[in-house]
Amino acid sequence: MRRVVVTGLGVISPLGNDSDSLFSRLMAGESGIREVTTEGPKGRDTNVAGTAAFDPALYFPAPQRLDHLDRVTQFSLAAAATAVKDAAIEITDDLRPRSGVSFGTGMGASNALEETFAQLLLRDPDRVKPLTVLKVMNNASAAHIAMQHGLGGPDLTYSCACSSSSVSIGEAYRQIRHGYADVMIAGGAEAPLTFGFFKAWEAMHILAIPDPSDPSASCRPFARNRSGLVLGEGAAMVLLEEREKAIQRGARVYAEIVGYGSSNDYLHITKPSVEGQAKAMELALADACLTPAAVDYVNAHGTGTTLNDVTETRAIKQVFGDRAWKVPVSSTKSMHGHLLGGAGALEFVISLLAIHYKGVPPTAHLDVPDPECDLDYVPGRGRSDQDIRCVMSNSFAFGGTNAVLIARRE
Amino acid sequence: MTTTFERVQGILGKKYSLAAETITPESTLESLGLDSLDLIELLFDVEDEFQIRIPQDGGSALKTATVQDIVDSIEKLVSPETPIDPAGGQVT
Repeated sequence: MRRVVVTGLGVISPLGNDSDSLFSRLMAGESGIREVTTEGPKGRDTNVAGTAAFDPALYFPAPQRLDHLDRVTQFSLAAAATAVKDAAIEITDDLRPRSGVSFGTGMGASNALEETFAQLLLRDPDRVKPLTVLKVMNNASAAHIAMQHGLGGPDLTYSCACSSSSVSIGEAYRQIRHGYADVMIAGGAEAPLTFGFFKAWEAMHILAIPDPSDPSASCRPFARNRSGLVLGEGAAMVLLEEREKAIQRGARVYAEIVGYGSSNDYLHITKPSVEGQAKAMELALADACLTPAAVDYVNAHGTGTTLNDVTETRAIKQVFGDRAWKVPVSSTKSMHGHLLGGAGALEFVISLLAIHYKGVPPTAHLDVPDPECDLDYVPGRGRSDQDIRCVMSNSFAFGGTNAVLIARRE
Repeated sequence: MTTTFERVQGILGKKYSLAAETITPESTLESLGLDSLDLIELLFDVEDEFQIRIPQDGGSALKTATVQDIVDSIEKLVSPETPIDPAGGQVT
């Protein structure tokens, strides 16, 4: 069986745009969540969100093309370029047809879509910007990544809400494992911090109430005083390679992807199920030929909603048995927010960095434990000098899609 | 008075950073380094500049091979020999 390794990482995140600073800030329990204001027809709204400090000029030398790329696509291209550079790989003509992209996003080009409707309904009822279709189509990011790096293999886009980019990485792993590709750039992105999308999430009554004394502490997964999820923006991409070829070229290997499990709850459009989540974890473990005893760290989906946190805790207990209380489980969403379609990829990257830097990132702002959430959530600050060999990253989505990835140190 | 050609020349020069002397009536869009998407954007700017709407005709009637073709199309729309149906296409 062909094996799949990760040789490059790229992030655009609320905690920085390089993986080193992302991980060190996470370990310190630092939050990238802050107050944001959006402008609507009747004035300004204030919310909290994980915002990415992103300067397009650093990534796009020809600024006139930026107008053709939604913010989500700009994030995707920047993260993909970082991952390719990090892997120090050259996509040669030989490699080109065997190299592809697997991308995930939940809401796609939110900014361009909203701008289009604002233009049409508020300013000019007659027409919208000429290349709107090309900007808002969900495969824009994957297509531009393929063009930028000359990738002639599979070019795939997955949209399954908050599991989108765990699915995109899992499916990319399968592309290589089953022989359809040798190199895949995989991951996802989201840029949902627009007036309209905040309104849509508000209407779900699921967003956290901003903490008046410290807005950066508004997302409190697994805590009794949690109040909901906090949106975040950014992208994360990994460069995956067939292991033998990566070793032949002398690539630095972060970890091997050994397991991927995907399931659906099939019961309710939003309400998660213990059985569905447990099934995805079990499938990933079976794919990896591992037992729960081998897992050293679980990066939880951990959104900070009561329904998620309690359900995920129960699912982990069902799968891990006694091991559930011994394995550290943390929700880094407490610090970067919920990147929706980009969340799985960012959290998978963080899980790989846990192996790479031998550290367990914390769940921040967990001062008041929820009695129904009684696992080791690594409250407050990260733990250094940990022998992390094997990590699990969980993603669960509206629509019921559960996706779990397992990676192991080489 | 500024001619239609000069106004198109101005749009092209500004948007694509082209020197005015490189843009002649005979220039093809290809020779100016523009592709089909650039043409779509150019037509959008032309609509603004001349306060016209280019009809949705599937691109069949609009000649756009050279700058002069575009100038001719604009002039037809600005002073049509036959009235333009705002929904698209010429009324016969």
